[in-house]
Amino acid sequence: MEFLKKLFVDPFVEMVSYPDFLMQVLWEGLVSGVLYSLIALGFVLIFRSSRIFNFAQGIMVVFAALTLVGFHAMGIPAWVSVIFTLGVMALLAITIERVVLRPLVGQPDIILFMATIGITLFLIGGGELIFGGETKRMITSDLGIPTGSVDFEPFGGLLILQHLDITSVAAAVVLVTGLLIFLNKTRMGRAIRALGDDHQAALSVGISLRTVWVLVWFIAGVIALMTGIFWGARAGVSFALEVIAYKALPVLMLGGLESITGAIVGGLAIGLLEKLFEIYWGQPLLGGGTETWFAFVLALIVLLFRPQGLFGEKIIERV
Amino acid sequence: MKKLTSFAAAAVMAITAGAASAEGLSTPNLSYRTGPFAATGIPLMNGQRDYMLMLNARDGGIGGVPVDFSECETGYSTEKGVECYEATKGDAIVTQPWSTGITLQVLPKTNVDEIPILAPGYGFSPMADGSVFNWAFNMPGSYWDAASMILNEISGNDLSTLSGQKIAFLHLDHPFGKEPLPFLENMAEEHGFELLPIPVGLKEMQNQSAQWLQIRRERPDYVVMWGWGAMNAGALTEAVKTRYPMDQFLGVWWSGHDGDMEALGEAGTGYRSISYSAPQPDAQVMADIREYVFDKGDSLATESELDWVFYQRGLVISAMLAEGIKTAQDHFGEGEITASQLRWGLENINLTDERLAEMGMTGMVAPFSTSCSNHTGHAGGWMLQWNGSEWEVASDHLMPDSEAIRPLEVAAAAEYAEANAPWPIADCE
Repeated sequence: MEFLKKLFVDPFVEMVSYPDFLMQVLWEGLVSGVLYSLIALGFVLIFRSSRIFNFAQGIMVVFAALTLVGFHAMGIPAWVSVIFTLGVMALLAITIERVVLRPLVGQPDIILFMATIGITLFLIGGGELIFGGETKRMITSDLGIPTGSVDFEPFGGLLILQHLDITSVAAAVVLVTGLLIFLNKTRMGRAIRALGDDHQAALSVGISLRTVWVLVWFIAGVIALMTGIFWGARAGVSFALEVIAYKALPVLMLGGLESITGAIVGGLAIGLLEKLFEIYWGQPLLGGGTETWFAFVLALIVLLFRPQGLFGEKIIERV
Repeated sequence: MKKLTSFAAAAVMAITAGAASAEGLSTPNLSYRTGPFAATGIPLMNGQRDYMLMLNARDGGIGGVPVDFSECETGYSTEKGVECYEATKGDAIVTQPWSTGITLQVLPKTNVDEIPILAPGYGFSPMADGSVFNWAFNMPGSYWDAASMILNEISGNDLSTLSGQKIAFLHLDHPFGKEPLPFLENMAEEHGFELLPIPVGLKEMQNQSAQWLQIRRERPDYVVMWGWGAMNAGALTEAVKTRYPMDQFLGVWWSGHDGDMEALGEAGTGYRSISYSAPQPDAQVMADIREYVFDKGDSLATESELDWVFYQRGLVISAMLAEGIKTAQDHFGEGEITASQLRWGLENINLTDERLAEMGMTGMVAPFSTSCSNHTGHAGGWMLQWNGSEWEVASDHLMPDSEAIRPLEVAAAAEYAEANAPWPIADCE
């Protein structure tokens, strides 16, 4: 009986009793969710256009952030360093297309997936050789990203919003909006979507596979840079940032690998739900640490009913 | 350019580890200069390596025999660590596993292979009982020592004052992070304080908002951190964000890294970390390191790193190993000692103030001695406090509560031996 009370009554009583704390939990969940969405978006864009599950997305976050910090350490102004870093990510996209993907056109998906594991190992080794393994400080203030916080007192309580978190949410919204406009309103954006919808048909009307691949890998690089800036600003830039990419896996399972909407909704849903579950159920009933598995269980439940994810395409194969 | 060269050297070193070793005393290190924990591993490994290079350059090694200090890269992965152990054990006289997870895996193997494990300040705390853990050494202090000293510090050496208080134990959800739990749970029960374990998963190290929301809700009197790698910086950042009082936030000796604190700067002022080593920039050994290693360009460390707590702890770790080797050489009258002879040496270390002065390491570690039954030495340590720009020694020399720890060590060691029977027990009488 006591257990049932803890399960069905206590959490809601606490939410109502301390609404300011609930708002803080929701805010932290939203911030995490936005960043999960961003990472998931990088995966989705590449998968849509090439059917490649990009295992290297996590290390691209580290590589982009380290490159930015590295350029700045050479005395280059912060925003010029950002431009240089974008140049490096573009170069990386071109190199990957030329050296890794082009020779593997037509190969089974698993071969392309293995190739991205190779890219991951290459970027880990190269990154450590060039930048070293020490934690670097993100150039947050040099980029003009505000630090500090703003306090609110809803219902007589306390809600603390970090300027960094507000900025990261705003920047993510701008980036995602820009991406959606690009994908829906521009010629190249439509080409990416066309490739995602039907490879053969897209190629038959003259869409260049090579150009699109370079473009999506570059966009994934831009997303990686932005993710690296905001996550790196929290606890430093190190190779530990790579592991946050794994947080995007249940987002992809939940939202569907091909769906941009799925990545956004899935990321936000997992960010919010895992935080709510951890605080109100996980910590009191299970001793905490539920964030490591909650998102996967949630995704698993969704997959039981919708194997293609919430927004994924239902594939019907005729034989 | 120096960095690039250094890392190329490190990479070559890692690649060549496991291959046939050079002549001399083979003392492989299962290091991690890559992966999520590299930032904290690198200065420690650099310090260890530089001390051995210095002995080779200054004294021609130990007792005239050069030290072959190779590294095998584990990335802090237990699986890779076990592979490294197997690859390097051939002519090794010691293994340095550098992770509690790896230590627990290779513990039974070293009994069979008869190679001493040196795990200074980490590993399984009951390894202190040398009669059960014949081949394992964790001098100069165990995790239970560290936890005991932290409790002594916050209670003013009177644990009864903790009665009714709440202590959050923020720890990496990994064998390392869970290691002090049995001791802390025992102390909580005995002294009437509430222990609130808060695990941090590997994937949550850099986003600990849920853990710190729990801390905000529970309002513990103290937060004690058992963090490593990126977890430390993540926790400190969240503590600032949550406005948790820094002077009520303390960490184990692996949670006191200059690199993490420099990134935090003024905001981290007041945070404390227990430490079995204290940096002494003016010590004679530092002058020797500069003269024989750093100034020659043989070190992988940077100039600023030389004064870091972790770099100088790396020196202390290699110095303890060197002292064990020297003790064995003196006793057996041989330069090229075997692994079992080193075991004797490590069991008979007597690091006095005078000996530390001879080594040029006064004040870098407290004097201690080991024996057949005491493989930890229980040297105690100091509380270091971040002043906004650097660590300061903020306490007198602290000692763990051996009366409380010893019975638990003996009981846990016996339990381990029983669970892994048949397990060899040494007669230390």
